[in-house]
Amino acid sequence: MIERLRASALLPFLAVILGLIVGALLILVAGKNPWVAYSAMVEGAFFGGNAFGRTLEKATPLIMGGLAVAVAFKAGLFNIGGQGQLLLGAAFAAWAGFTFDLPMIVHIPVALIVGGLVAALIGAIVGGLKAYRGTHEVITTIMLNFVLGNFTDWLASRDGPWNDPEGGALARTPLIADSAQIPRVGGLPTGFLVAVGLAVLCWWLIERSTFGFEIKTAGLNKNAATYAGIGVNKILILTMAISAFLAGVGGAIETQGVTNRFEPGFNTGLGFDGITIALLARTNPLAVVPAALLFGAMDAGSSLMQSQARIAPEIIAVIQAAILFFIAAPTVVQYITRARNVSSEDDGVRLSAGWGG
Amino acid sequence: MLTRSRLLAILVALTLVAAACGSDDGGSAGGNLEKDGDCASEDYYCVGLVTDVGKVDDKSFNQSAWEGLQDSEADYVEFIETQDSKDYANNIQGFLDQGFDAIVTVGFSLGEATGIAAAENPDVDFIGVDQFQGEAIANVAGLIFPENKAGFMAGALAGLMTESNVIGAVLGTDLVPPVVAFKEGYEKGALYTNADATFVSTYHPGGLDVAFGDPDWGATTARQAIGNGADVIFGAGGATGNGALAEVAKDEGVVFCIGVDTDQWETVPEAHPCLITSAMKLIDAGVVDLVAEAKAGSMTSGNFVGDVGLADYHDFEDVIPDDVKDEMEKIIAGVLDDSIDASI
Amino acid sequence: MTTATATTSPTVKATISKYLPWAIALAVMFAILFAMSWDSRQTEAVGAATVRAAAPLLLGALCGLIGERSGIINIGIEGQILLSAYCGFMVSSLSADASLPTVISLILGVVGGVAASALVGFFMAWCAVSLKMDQIIAGTVVNIFALGFTSYAYVQGRTQPRYPNWTVPGLSELPFVGDVLFNHGPLTYLAFFCVVGVHIALFRTTWGLRTRAIGEHPGAADTVGVDVARMRYKNMIIAGAMAGLAGMLLIQSASAFSRNMSNGKGFIALAVMLFGRYRPLGVLGAALLLGFFTALQSQLQFNQAFDIPPQFFGMIPFLLTIAVLAVAGLAARPPAAAGSPYEKE
Repeated sequence: MIERLRASALLPFLAVILGLIVGALLILVAGKNPWVAYSAMVEGAFFGGNAFGRTLEKATPLIMGGLAVAVAFKAGLFNIGGQGQLLLGAAFAAWAGFTFDLPMIVHIPVALIVGGLVAALIGAIVGGLKAYRGTHEVITTIMLNFVLGNFTDWLASRDGPWNDPEGGALARTPLIADSAQIPRVGGLPTGFLVAVGLAVLCWWLIERSTFGFEIKTAGLNKNAATYAGIGVNKILILTMAISAFLAGVGGAIETQGVTNRFEPGFNTGLGFDGITIALLARTNPLAVVPAALLFGAMDAGSSLMQSQARIAPEIIAVIQAAILFFIAAPTVVQYITRARNVSSEDDGVRLSAGWGG
Repeated sequence: MLTRSRLLAILVALTLVAAACGSDDGGSAGGNLEKDGDCASEDYYCVGLVTDVGKVDDKSFNQSAWEGLQDSEADYVEFIETQDSKDYANNIQGFLDQGFDAIVTVGFSLGEATGIAAAENPDVDFIGVDQFQGEAIANVAGLIFPENKAGFMAGALAGLMTESNVIGAVLGTDLVPPVVAFKEGYEKGALYTNADATFVSTYHPGGLDVAFGDPDWGATTARQAIGNGADVIFGAGGATGNGALAEVAKDEGVVFCIGVDTDQWETVPEAHPCLITSAMKLIDAGVVDLVAEAKAGSMTSGNFVGDVGLADYHDFEDVIPDDVKDEMEKIIAGVLDDSIDASI
Repeated sequence: MTTATATTSPTVKATISKYLPWAIALAVMFAILFAMSWDSRQTEAVGAATVRAAAPLLLGALCGLIGERSGIINIGIEGQILLSAYCGFMVSSLSADASLPTVISLILGVVGGVAASALVGFFMAWCAVSLKMDQIIAGTVVNIFALGFTSYAYVQGRTQPRYPNWTVPGLSELPFVGDVLFNHGPLTYLAFFCVVGVHIALFRTTWGLRTRAIGEHPGAADTVGVDVARMRYKNMIIAGAMAGLAGMLLIQSASAFSRNMSNGKGFIALAVMLFGRYRPLGVLGAALLLGFFTALQSQLQFNQAFDIPPQFFGMIPFLLTIAVLAVAGLAARPPAAAGSPYEKE
């Protein structure tokens, strides 16, 4: 047991180290000091002020986006549309937040669920098109990213129905009611706990429930699933809806826990990052949490890295790409580090198996 | 399988690419970029700049503000580039923690974070570029510009220079109020000098995150506008607009183009063959003025209206007829003293 | 996945009968709309913009197509486009600084951009073939790296020479088609030659036969003596070159690099590839259709055709694409071996 744990933790650890080395080389090429840079990054992510709170805050949408992609992968679906679904959830949670007048204990979950359900509706449409019209979900979700991005921009724009009357010409919704704001406890965002709770729920759903078994069966082999009496079309629609729901709730948490309103341009790229997180976690819902924490910490630390070491924060993306590469390439890690047994077994994850549908 | 030589080759290739491409953008330290005092002390005046999501070399408003700050009377200046809109407050706080005396925040979307930080830190002066102040806060100056006036001047020139009477505009997004003001002013100005003018104007069809960074779309759309008969094209929208200018330049002076924000003769040399002028808002000068006021302890609170104007004609000095130049002089003066109504 | 009941090698005729009618019908419909309400100058402008907007999507989709036909799924097209645009721009810019003639520095730029993307293609083949890494991960690595690296390394202030427009003598004088087809930058023409080239190569040459074989039945191809691994490396490099050209098209268009200038084109290209059902001519139809919708939305804004916010104009290309696909009900069947590394038995 301990041996297995050591082995499974060793690869991510070595991958992070190697990723940081790649980043350090680039920093050296630019004539800067990697040590200064990295200590600033660590300080900005964990120590000083509300650093750790920011790390959790940044990890939260990554968890939700990661879960959305991971769950869809289990059914052999590739949801590239997390970005659009997240925006939709963020906008509708804002609407529920500034429209209703409810006690906090009701208002917070209502707004979260409204955001999630509207996104889920879109997911169901994507799944339905896939099931009944054969339209590839990769196409529809990519296209919907553009459509939903524009739609939510419009909702908040000065011509839109939800524009903040006090914002002058600014494109944004009004502030949500205090009762819809997810509170902070000791400076730490509670939204993070919601995300972790949903990660556990997803793990249970996939690994322990009958429905999860059906999802995985459909993902592995549609024909076999049909022979086994599983309604594959139903599975496709439901899984896509759940996936989009998760992304939508991710957007809702951003609105209710961080920005307190919906504003175009405030959630850029979060949904796309979900793909990276899901891959980093090998689509395991529980592993999504540490993966999101790692990348969230790097994102949070990047501003202090720029102000203290004068290094453009984009280098973080290069380091993250390197980490993802090394985690997926145990042979390379083994070769470079001469470590033994960096990956205990080939877990046989073939994400691309879902491509063909 | 994985051989040592193959791995080595890949690593070497990667390092070579990195070395070839990677270059030092730290900027040579000098002037007020060198920190030789303590920002927390009374007599060492430090000013920090927080960008909108974007870089200080965006050839647009972040860059203008940063250039202004470097020219200012501050003893030490520093910037931080925001990666994520949710970091505005954190990035402002970073400067506050170091005891900076004034902070410049660039772009309307930082308005809210700036207001909150100002209320919590009454001893620090805040300069908000493009941030309209509804009600004045003592330690916040909103540096705003009548973009409609700059647009009007550019439009007036376009109206005088067009032969086809079709005038184009390739724009960022209408989600950003200054872009709308530029466009509306431009069209009004063109109609002022040319009652027959018709317009082919289009906003970028994408969201806020891409609308200012899509030069390919800008260029393609500028070409489509030329196909529609436009012979003067206004590019207003960061890199998107710059793409439009560069495309018009391919026609080598047959079609004219007009830049935006700064004198784009300096920032977009690709556009030299067509760039007759730029509709400028002098962010840099405004920042210099406000920092001087803040350092003297007498910063304007509420709105500070910066200067707008048209850039030089540069190489088109001889192309633009004298009567047009005379006419433009009158119009510019009229717009600035409000005897010509450029309001939108 | 599903047991491969491989369709017979698709002929041009099959392609046309299966797929193109939808694209043509729609295009004709809108063309008629144009002719009725707008003048010919506008129709020509829309046509030219269609061709121009379609070209990078076309090349991006060809990159994906060649890879997947060979059994490697490539979702890193976006990164390849961005990286090649950056490297091509840098090479052109540096060689112009070295006061080389304009033509030379432009050509060097294209070579540099294409080489960069081909190198990425090699990297992805290495991941997929030698490391047996999951191909979706390999593509994602490329996307994140390209965006981060180019943004990090790019320094403002560099310029490069402009690409000229080439009007084809004679042909460009033709009514309508002259302006639509024969007044573009040199690389745009090259893009359309690439489609024809890939189509012929894929369905009329030994290379094409082998490529399709290693994508459908690598085992069978191996037994008849095709070196599957080597072929996949080679094809990913060729595919990378296509994406590199797509990146250089952006530079040809914009005359300069700017951060994240690919703006999702690589992902749209992925959709175009699936829409075109892994066939070069299908991809051509799909790319033209999307290009047309994009040009259409600009024209509708120009004409102030509807009094709706710009955000809704922006949705038009994407909503129409979904609508076309949903109505047509066309499912793309990927090559059977796409996504899985080949294990020699």
